[in-house]
Amino acid sequence: MDDNAPHGRKSRVRASDVVTNVLTVAYFVFALFPVFWILLLSLKPDKQLSTTYFVFDPTLENYTAVLGLSQGAEGIPFVRFFFNSLVISFGAVAIALLVGVPAAYAAARWKFRGSESLLFTLLSFRFAPELTVIIPLYVIYQKLGLFDSYVGMIWVYQLIALPFVVWILRSYFQDLSPELEQSALLDGYTRVRAFFLIVAPLVRPGIAAVSLISFIFAWNNFVFPLILTASHAQTVTVGALSFLGGEKPRYNFTAAAALIAAIPPLILAFSIQRYLVRGLSFGAVKG
Amino acid sequence: MATLSLQGLRKEYGDLVALDELNLDVRDGEFFVLLGPSGAGKTTTLKCIAGLETPTAGRVEIDGRDVTDVEPYDRNVAMAFENYALYPQKTAFQNMSFPLNSKRYRVSEEEARKRVERVAETLGIRHLLQRLPRELSGGQRQRVALGRVLVRPADVFLLDEPLSHLDAKLQMQMRAELRSLGEMQNTTSFYVSHDYREALALGDRIGVLREGRLVQMGTGEEVWQRPADTFVARTFGQPEINLVAGELVDGPEGCLFRSRDGEIEVLLPNRPAPPGTSVELGIRPLDLEVADGETPPDTVKLAGRVYVVERLGRELEVTVKIGENLIAVVTGKGSKDPDEQVTIFFSSSRLLLFEAETGRRIDLEQEDVEAINRA
Amino acid sequence: MSATAAPEQKKGQVSAVSPRRRALRPYLLVLPSLLLTIGILYPFGLGVFYTFFDYAATKPNPDFIGFQNYVSIFTSSDFWQSAWVTLRYAVGATLVETVLGVGIALLLFRGSAAGRVLEKVLIVPLMIAPVIATIMWSLMLQPSVGVINYLLGPFGLGGVEWTDSPRGALLSAIFIDVWIFTPFVALLALAGLRSLPRDPFEAAAVDGAGYWFTFRKLTLPMLWPYILVAVIFRFMDSLKMFDVIYALTRGGPGDSMMVLQVRGYQEAILYTNFSVGLTYTIVIWAAVFIATRLLVGIFGRAQARAAGP
Repeated sequence: MDDNAPHGRKSRVRASDVVTNVLTVAYFVFALFPVFWILLLSLKPDKQLSTTYFVFDPTLENYTAVLGLSQGAEGIPFVRFFFNSLVISFGAVAIALLVGVPAAYAAARWKFRGSESLLFTLLSFRFAPELTVIIPLYVIYQKLGLFDSYVGMIWVYQLIALPFVVWILRSYFQDLSPELEQSALLDGYTRVRAFFLIVAPLVRPGIAAVSLISFIFAWNNFVFPLILTASHAQTVTVGALSFLGGEKPRYNFTAAAALIAAIPPLILAFSIQRYLVRGLSFGAVKG
Repeated sequence: MATLSLQGLRKEYGDLVALDELNLDVRDGEFFVLLGPSGAGKTTTLKCIAGLETPTAGRVEIDGRDVTDVEPYDRNVAMAFENYALYPQKTAFQNMSFPLNSKRYRVSEEEARKRVERVAETLGIRHLLQRLPRELSGGQRQRVALGRVLVRPADVFLLDEPLSHLDAKLQMQMRAELRSLGEMQNTTSFYVSHDYREALALGDRIGVLREGRLVQMGTGEEVWQRPADTFVARTFGQPEINLVAGELVDGPEGCLFRSRDGEIEVLLPNRPAPPGTSVELGIRPLDLEVADGETPPDTVKLAGRVYVVERLGRELEVTVKIGENLIAVVTGKGSKDPDEQVTIFFSSSRLLLFEAETGRRIDLEQEDVEAINRA
Repeated sequence: MSATAAPEQKKGQVSAVSPRRRALRPYLLVLPSLLLTIGILYPFGLGVFYTFFDYAATKPNPDFIGFQNYVSIFTSSDFWQSAWVTLRYAVGATLVETVLGVGIALLLFRGSAAGRVLEKVLIVPLMIAPVIATIMWSLMLQPSVGVINYLLGPFGLGGVEWTDSPRGALLSAIFIDVWIFTPFVALLALAGLRSLPRDPFEAAAVDGAGYWFTFRKLTLPMLWPYILVAVIFRFMDSLKMFDVIYALTRGGPGDSMMVLQVRGYQEAILYTNFSVGLTYTIVIWAAVFIATRLLVGIFGRAQARAAGP
């Protein structure tokens, strides 16, 4: 069924192979063309915006304007949004790891009362619409002064990041034999040192994967910052959308903004290709 | 160098009693083997000594100090795990030097290197020190695990069936090497196994564990020749000891053992228990011999028919049917055919007698004086 | 003298650790996450709580009204319209991306030259934020500067304001969803295909089984669990979809694309009827829960049947 096995005759090109290649390329054109075209659009100068589609004189004006380095995009402090996204996403991941790694380790090594129900509770958050927690928080945050703040956003993102971290890392920890830690104990190391010297390095791929995926989810999120932030802590996803509004939307600016917003997750995604399946399916599939 | 003492050790896992009032003392410098089938509680015992498990009740004393609640890293014991537990991301050298980098057992880098190389030399793995565990064979990994134990002087060495995953030839070779290692000769060692041959080959003393209880403790000779009960008797020896059910009867020449079907009758040297007692007669296949014409005097003779013959290299395993009973005999000579009539014989000093109900061995040296008086 | 003699043993401080302290350890490790979880559970609980009140910005001191919120939305045509369009969206998107995703996975599994190279960029659409992806496609679908109309021009389909009609908006939304999430299904299916044992397929090949036969009888049944995981995740997520719809038309044109969570947003944040909006979300939650269990049940039984006795 799988043609990965070596063929008997390499010289004859089979019809099915041609079709396969054509269909594959067709899909990827469909998948990648938008990115490519947006890139083109983002390099188009104002004058040629509505006149031509593919032939024009490329310019970086749109980018400089969006980034606030030149005129044109006042009123939308995009650089600030980008910075906010960075801070909030990093912060969310850092907290999730800080809190989640010990919890995942404990869940893997000890069977204590309520461990299964705690995990299931965490998992059920995945089922719930974000609004269920955002609307009450909208009210609560205003009272607590957490509205439109970094802390407020980092806290809220734990809703997504924490169950994910605990659930995935737990299975990574479970894959390790407890005898390794036991051996380290007898070798003269305390549990804490044994963890950092022996256990943690072995789950490094898992931690890397979970961190990157959580970062991407936090970065790409829209609904939380839409409601829970205003000018101060707004993120790049909400900010990009604001380019589309108004009477005379600047399409080329929008394109530049969209690309800038999309780049960081794409870069990170390429480094974790391997661990993606396990992470995205919440451990259901050990790709 | 230290003594090891387990007092009233009890470990429960919920409803399951893994260790039930375990009492044993290991002498300074002794090589002690704890023998038992799987599930008997051997590894649990080991883990309690190491501090990896906390006993439900009882004490563990190392060198006279109560260490029952002391953390593993403070107990000064070293352990070789059944599955080696080598750190996968460290080289053999790093695995072995790891204990020497800990705060507790730290030595200088120079000293650590010297020791690792010395031990590696002794174990014949010096050339493998830069390899990772996944690049080593089973036997090599086992030696690295052992090396990690030997690099530092400890009060007690704990060994959890370290040879069980090696192939038979390697097992025998390592057994011989193990005992000759200088370190092992000087350190109190607690070795756990399910293989009686290992126990007999390695142990100064052997403890037989069954379902969390210590059934017997003694030297190899003691457990072999004077087993405490049928369980111990059956544990040692392959093929298993022959056990024939029957009872004691009084006969004209003295006290007799008579098998249930009446076909086997053996005169006992004295009367160890009152007549009518249900007993089991035990005689090891190795202590039996097939008669080749003449039988030596002063031996017990039994006649029967050959049931099964198995040739195992130099040895012949003959199962003889006497009445309802199947008796296994291991002999070196000759060949026999099934259905052949044979006579087997043994020296009565080799026979063992057990109470049928409890399985406990009845001491044949002692006469049941009371019973005789009553009679 | 033994080879490892010489150094004196460091008989350092040997202190005992009480069993009670030892038993506390796992709880200490879990404590921070427990606190955080409670911190999240509290707003959830509050959310559910408020659905039984008439909390709104105009009514900061709400009264208890029992199930009235639920009754009123179940009897409002707005709700059912939302539910209907949400269902069409979820079913449409999930169906298309499942079929397409499995198809892509099968193509990539064949290990063609194009496949091996392009597999590395399979993940791109998935990593772009749905909002950003929607912005991109909005630009592309734009009648004046968008490339889609340009490309379709020769076919006489150009110049259409895609998001102007309810039907167009729904199709566009589904289309964008498919573009973003097909890689998700494809990745899962591909991992599944690669994990299948070779033997049954080799045996089938030796027995002369054709491609479709092998696919129906062997591949599909063995792949079911992976497909099921993908379907469940996608269906769940598309019932809750917010980003794409909001970024595309804010729920328009008119009310036609007001999927449940967007309407919930409208009620709670724009009209500041907190309780009403929350009621929408609770209903979504229940719907997702039920849908998932149904799906697992249906597909589970189908798989059992396919796997044979």
